Amino acid sequence: MAMSCRDRVIAALNQESLDRPPVAVFTTCDTIGMMEKCGASWPEAHSDPQKMATLACAQADYFGLESVRAGFCLTEEAEALGCPIDMGTSRSSPMLKGHPFTYNPMKKIYDEPDNLPDIDEFLKTGRVKTAIDAMAIMQKTHGEDYVIVGGNTGPFTLTGHLLNTENLVYSVWTEPERAQKWVGAIAPYCKAFGQAMLDNGADLIQMSEPSASTDILAPTDFPVQSGQFVKDCLGSLPGYTILHICGDSAPIIPYMLDTGADGISVEEKVPSEKAVEIANHRGCLVGNVGCAFPLFKGTPADVEKAAKQGSGESHQGGVNEESQLSPAIYSSIG
Amino acid sequence: MDESSILKELADAVVACDPPRAKKAAETALSAGMDPVKAINEGLVVGMGVIGDNYAVRKMYLPQVLVAAHSMYEGLDVLIPAIPKDENISAKKAITGVVQGDVHDIGKNIVKTMLTAAGFMVDDLGKDVPPQTVVDQMLADQSEVVCLSTLMTPTMDNMAKAVQLIAQSGYRDKVIITIGGPPTTDAFAEEIGADHRDENAQQCVKFVNSKV
Repeated sequence: MAMSCRDRVIAALNQESLDRPPVAVFTTCDTIGMMEKCGASWPEAHSDPQKMATLACAQADYFGLESVRAGFCLTEEAEALGCPIDMGTSRSSPMLKGHPFTYNPMKKIYDEPDNLPDIDEFLKTGRVKTAIDAMAIMQKTHGEDYVIVGGNTGPFTLTGHLLNTENLVYSVWTEPERAQKWVGAIAPYCKAFGQAMLDNGADLIQMSEPSASTDILAPTDFPVQSGQFVKDCLGSLPGYTILHICGDSAPIIPYMLDTGADGISVEEKVPSEKAVEIANHRGCLVGNVGCAFPLFKGTPADVEKAAKQGSGESHQGGVNEESQLSPAIYSSIG
Repeated sequence: MDESSILKELADAVVACDPPRAKKAAETALSAGMDPVKAINEGLVVGMGVIGDNYAVRKMYLPQVLVAAHSMYEGLDVLIPAIPKDENISAKKAITGVVQGDVHDIGKNIVKTMLTAAGFMVDDLGKDVPPQTVVDQMLADQSEVVCLSTLMTPTMDNMAKAVQLIAQSGYRDKVIITIGGPPTTDAFAEEIGADHRDENAQQCVKFVNSKV
């Protein structure tokens, strides 16, 4: 008997045998077509729990993907912690328009992380609460058949949103302890948000930590500036967890696995064979069909080729169950 | 300090990621009567080139690049005001910007730094820049180069729109357009009519220098 979507994703996360790799999305994949079909569009779906849940479930309802995920951006926590936001349109994501804290390592003018909001208040604020509430709706309508995914922002990335990412990165070179102090102060908010989504119906927390990618931090800086905090705020959560980092994450795959996340999500810049070899069965690998190419700009045949390559079919002559690599299909299909 | 020692100190200060040292070396250069253009091109720019080359091959990472760039700018702040105004007129002009809908500007800032180090006068339009603003500023500056960036897939359309408006402006054959950012590809650059897709800042500078 064929596995259900939910069972297939959970089996992959547990590194158990699969009938085939699940075609699941843990990052975001909302398209205009999806919004038109389901009747819930950006920007309203960022702030309304019912619309958020409807759009999140559209990825399964209309695209046949094997997971459902909300929210749809990496600004929810930043807004709740004081960042001004432009909510964007149906075609553009919410954008940060400023930073609530002063952190200027060039002029050596800094705010300290002493007066951050109460964490319980944070969980009741704005779109953080929207996402938490959406989890309950998604669990009720789709929880039996699909894994419910709650997305959140990694601690280094969120700290950059609050302080100015470029300035935070600058200080990694000049004052690394000061940078760590801030990231360590922000990590509990990431953990609380993940925990609250799990408590309210999520099965899995997918944390995105793009500002800690190797395009920005040296691989040796990753465990110090990000990984140790991700371990605390993602790896220690009681549900399933996936850590996504953009770019060529091959040099930091071992550190990503050290965080204790059940799965690590990589982009197409990391060849799947290489990722499997480095991961060495220490966790589930998620990836790596590119969102710009082939999904946005390629053909269905290009997507098929990339998915087969990601699952090990093209280089091993069959679906590679050993690799447990789940092709994650990103935006703009359909 | 003789001239070669001063030039070496300017370069070394940038490579050492030491802004106060770079500023001091620039002041020393002027005190010694050195041509500020020479101090920039054979001192600060040499150091930034070392940083850029190492960044391109991932021997150095963004934290070092940012502090090195700050060091270079500290030196430039001393040296540029000492350049006679008519010498600036001949500098090549470039525009940099992150397209509308996107605020991720670190990559663009590195391109701006490397173009500056390559001798361009850079008009940085910042982030979330509407396509029409790119065209208007390009025409106002009479730019020879436009470099556009985006980090996200949905905003790639605004990159295409900017290139389209440049074509409609009648100025297309006078400007080199490069694009960059993770979702962009060589094929996308060709599709929208840009001249080049930059893998990194060094590659961008190398390309535009070969064309301008």
